Amino acid sequence: MRSKKRIIITVLVCVGIAALAYFAWMIPFYIFETNDFNTSIEKLLSLDYLKTLVPLLIIIGLSALGIILIVLLRRMLAKRDKNFSRSANLRTGRAGGKAPKQKPAVFMIIRWIIMIAFAFMMIWGGLIFGLGMSSLSIPVLSCPWNTEQMTESSCYYLSHLNELFELPIGSILLFFISTLGFIFLLGRAICGFLCPVGLIQDIMDKIRKKTKTEGIKMNEKMYGALTPVKWFILLIFIGLCFAGGNFCNFCPAVAVSPILAGISTSLYVSGFLMVLVLMGSFFKRRAFCTVCPLGTIMGFFHKLSLFRVKKDCQSCTECGACYEACPMGIKMIYTEREKADVTHANCIMCGECVRCCPEDNALSLTFAGKKIYTSSRKKIMSGYEEVRNYYDDKKD
Amino acid sequence: MMTKRTETLKQRQDKRFINKETQTAAKYLRRVKELSGAPDGMEPFYNTLERIYVDMDYADSGTYSHTVGTYCVMTPPELIYAAGAMPVKLCSGNYTAFSVGDDIAPRDACPLVKAVAGFKQTGLMPVYEDCSLMVVPITCDCKKKIAGMLSDKCDLMTLHVPASRNDEDIEEFTAQLYDLIERLENATGNAITYESLSDAFRTVGYAQYELSEFIRLKKQMPYLIRGSHSMAILNAASYMTAADWGKALHRVNGSLKKRIAEKKTVTSKKLPRILLTGSPIVFPNVKIPLLIEETGGIVAGDETCMGERGMWDPAVITDNSFDGMMNALANRALRPCPCPTFADNSQRIYRIKQLIKENQIQGVIYHVLRGCLVYDFEYKRIEDELGKLGIPVIRLESDYNEEDIEQLRIRIEAFIELIKLKQEPEKITAARRSF
Repeated sequence: MRSKKRIIITVLVCVGIAALAYFAWMIPFYIFETNDFNTSIEKLLSLDYLKTLVPLLIIIGLSALGIILIVLLRRMLAKRDKNFSRSANLRTGRAGGKAPKQKPAVFMIIRWIIMIAFAFMMIWGGLIFGLGMSSLSIPVLSCPWNTEQMTESSCYYLSHLNELFELPIGSILLFFISTLGFIFLLGRAICGFLCPVGLIQDIMDKIRKKTKTEGIKMNEKMYGALTPVKWFILLIFIGLCFAGGNFCNFCPAVAVSPILAGISTSLYVSGFLMVLVLMGSFFKRRAFCTVCPLGTIMGFFHKLSLFRVKKDCQSCTECGACYEACPMGIKMIYTEREKADVTHANCIMCGECVRCCPEDNALSLTFAGKKIYTSSRKKIMSGYEEVRNYYDDKKD
Repeated sequence: MMTKRTETLKQRQDKRFINKETQTAAKYLRRVKELSGAPDGMEPFYNTLERIYVDMDYADSGTYSHTVGTYCVMTPPELIYAAGAMPVKLCSGNYTAFSVGDDIAPRDACPLVKAVAGFKQTGLMPVYEDCSLMVVPITCDCKKKIAGMLSDKCDLMTLHVPASRNDEDIEEFTAQLYDLIERLENATGNAITYESLSDAFRTVGYAQYELSEFIRLKKQMPYLIRGSHSMAILNAASYMTAADWGKALHRVNGSLKKRIAEKKTVTSKKLPRILLTGSPIVFPNVKIPLLIEETGGIVAGDETCMGERGMWDPAVITDNSFDGMMNALANRALRPCPCPTFADNSQRIYRIKQLIKENQIQGVIYHVLRGCLVYDFEYKRIEDELGKLGIPVIRLESDYNEEDIEQLRIRIEAFIELIKLKQEPEKITAARRSF
């Protein structure tokens, strides 16, 4: 009975998504009078730029409103809840004090620098450094409607396969070679290190952690329920062009990069979706990545990528901290007790599992066989260092 | 007239109980102290054990106004510290209390539970009487019934421990921890806040850091410290605040570091290295580690919940909201716990294999308290698994009394001899050749 209900809900959701994607051009979010695809540095500095930023500001405002409403609603529900009413203030009130936090790892700092630098390149890079590399395709969700990005993004031709095969043969080859080359070389590390939509989601997560707001915890069941939706979105991603639709009207990435680059593009469903992505990633880290079609495609090649997550099964105590920390909900990383390689198709190489692993050398990220980030008890406990110093001083 | 006589009878009984209890505790403490090769800085631990069992005094709670009794490793100490109370582990190993509890609890109940029942029956143990609240995770049937018995005498809360460790189980356990917050706040009168909980994480985290250092040092050299001494340190953790314990352990770690630098070990002989696993070893029931080390072995590692395993895993905060911290506590309480109460406990075998490798173990002693069914169930599987590795295992069943000591001694001696024979075959052949 329950499974029947689940199937019906999944089918309804999928049909809803399909309808939204197909009729996306009929549901406007924000329409510019003229879509101006020309941009320049002067335009970025002029007042016109503010005009193009309007939809982005609307998106930010709407998602902030949505987040605040959800937080208030949760507070109300928690206060009404029989079990949690007493701790409602603890869970939703403003919290003083600081939770123990480990020192930032070099790996994480480098990851953030790369993410920010790459997003900058993908938005304004062409304006500043020219379009010398624009024939290369990288599989990231950075909008190709932004004609000023440094390199091409593969998502356009992957979602418009009919247009791809109309190109000259040289371009097709270059597209495939560069896309596959990047997938082989980096795998889904592209999601964790390069993707601008990933950066936006990580920023939302950082804001949540700064405000100590309670997130939404996904469990196996919810991830399981999302899996068919993920495959269906992939199907839409590839198949929509043959059915006569345009995925770009549906894709949330359109709502950021072109607008920031000073290109006024009218937004359809993508605007609404971007609001959802921002809200979702606020409560659940990298919420969109769990259904991202481009990521799913890259996941097919996870066995080939040079980035690997390695596990020393001997040192693991199955404490599940890695699973708790994983934004993609990969459970296998903590249940695996035999294989040394625990790279999963969903893994985006964000290094969060390594950061939270309390066992020395139990988890590590490797690039081409070289360890670049290893877990250690000392790093975990660096958050308690103040206390240790305090006692050391007292002793002497 | 009648009442007076019964009163004096009760008084006499109490006096006898106290005498016997302090004598056994003092004896075992002396035997631990007499073992050679103790590192510097053991005094705080000895003093704590002496204070609780020999002087029969309250636990030194320092600045904490209340004490909260806990059983098992599933009770998160962080929450108790956050409520301004000190957690005291009440799992008992007392022979005298056991004999009192023997009359209350059924014959097949485990001695640990009988000892707890005995202490509560006599009402003479200050650590037990002082508790504002007792938290009993239901890890086995005996614990469930003892919770019922204890609840007549003091405020008590049970924590349901699920049989598996799925996401739903963790969520359910988190909800129980929220209930525990309420009970703790009622019992202590202090509110748990985000700030106090984070401070509690720091307090416990510091002790855990020192413990991880201690175990890391132990791994480096197999004969660095005797198992009985490390057992005394870890048992004392039950009755000390995490801050005091961590501070005292820091001194021991310092002296161990010095030993490593000077390449000094407990003994120059190649004693067989034994891993002790199974039912908890609670002071003063330390006869098994004592017998192992008195008959010429060394307890190089232990996998028991009152030992290294109990406090090893830290609660890792992956999400710094209050709910995230509660989640971290629930996650730490269940997922890494190799307690046989879980239906699928294969991770315990991996844990034992890991300890064998890290501590260069030559033989495993599987300790089963009489009536401790869940541990007894797992013996077979562990025997099979270790058989594949070629590590000898022996199952020792014991009770809380001194009657089985001689029998245990014979079996332990034989086991150690067996390992010694395996260990030095070349010596024997060399001797024969010269003969």
